[in-house]
Amino acid sequence: MAEPMKQFEVHTIVPLNVAGLDVSITNSTVWMAISATVLAGFFTLAFARPSVVPSRAQSVGELLFSLIDDLAHSIIGHESKSFMPLVFSLFGFIATMNLLGMFVVPFTPTSQLAVTATLALLTIAIVVVVGFWKNGFGFFKLFVPSGVPIALLPLMVPIEIISFLVRPLTLALRLFGNMLGGHVVLNIFGSFVVSLGLLGLAGGVATLGFLGAGVALGSVVALLALEFIVAFLQAFVFAALTCVYLNDVVNLHSH
Amino acid sequence: MPQFDFAVWPGQIVWALIIFVSLYVVLSRVLLPRVRGALEARAAKISGDMEEARRLRAEAQVQADAAAKEIADARLRAQRTATEAKTRSADEAKARQAALEADLNAKIAEAEVKIRASRDAAMTNVRGIAADTVVAISEKLTGEAPTAADVETALASVSAAN
Repeated sequence: MAEPMKQFEVHTIVPLNVAGLDVSITNSTVWMAISATVLAGFFTLAFARPSVVPSRAQSVGELLFSLIDDLAHSIIGHESKSFMPLVFSLFGFIATMNLLGMFVVPFTPTSQLAVTATLALLTIAIVVVVGFWKNGFGFFKLFVPSGVPIALLPLMVPIEIISFLVRPLTLALRLFGNMLGGHVVLNIFGSFVVSLGLLGLAGGVATLGFLGAGVALGSVVALLALEFIVAFLQAFVFAALTCVYLNDVVNLHSH
Repeated sequence: MPQFDFAVWPGQIVWALIIFVSLYVVLSRVLLPRVRGALEARAAKISGDMEEARRLRAEAQVQADAAAKEIADARLRAQRTATEAKTRSADEAKARQAALEADLNAKIAEAEVKIRASRDAAMTNVRGIAADTVVAISEKLTGEAPTAADVETALASVSAAN
């Protein structure tokens, strides 16, 4: 049986060392770059000559744009336009990495905690910067929920602080866990197909192995469909949560 | 788990940041404005076309109203013309009738004058005949003709008695 964790191994392709830091180009970084290029390339081609009656590619691009634009607008409100590019970049980058990773050859950078944690911390860092930029030190009102009796504040404020600090962790782990789990499960069920099929070849009672292989194959097909949905959905969830966190600091006064 | 081999973390973190920031710059500066532009151009085109259609409909309405008003005016004018023509012809007929009547009346009056004249003439003749007759009868009865003056007096007294 193939090692299910082997698919997540990072291999150095071009060794690179800057100021004592190992920043080698690896399969992970290559597929990040390819994902970003695919996304930017798609939009470049689809909107090379945008027309009022859109081509198919333009329709898809407009659909994705509207999806995130409407999401950002419904959560953040009238100031969503300035944050929409950030939310869309996160959504598009993660979705492209997830979806490309669904195929056999590409490496899935979003199954690397290093990558998801970087994106999550970057998001939270932007939220904190925007919070201070918009509200100054009023940003700390984020940790003081309004409409709560003063007696409860000593309890509520630490809870709010902890929930804020946990945000980057959950953001990173949710995406990482989903991609990791999906790939591991697909790998295990896929290896079942092979090993049970080989067992079936032995003949006799072991012929039942073909049945098991068939069941495993069916599961792989069903899981593959599910994982495609998860790949898209996790990118959307990441974008939606980014909007929610941005809304917290952009519309702080209205809480 | 290979994910917790922290030796590969710095490279992935640095490259993830570099790639994401480049992607963000390209998307936010170039590509997303293009998408928003396309969407806004479509929205503008649709609302512009709707506006144009609404304007044309209003214009057509105005023209239809004008046409209806013109038709109503024309009908009114036609009615007035018909009424005028009727009145004029009636007036003309009346005038002709009046002229005819006046003509006839004049002729009647003329005829009456003529009749009266001939009657008077006849009556004058009657007086002459009566005088002649009186003279003849008196001559036959008395053998002598009365004088013209006597006859006149007698006739005058008779006609006065009548």
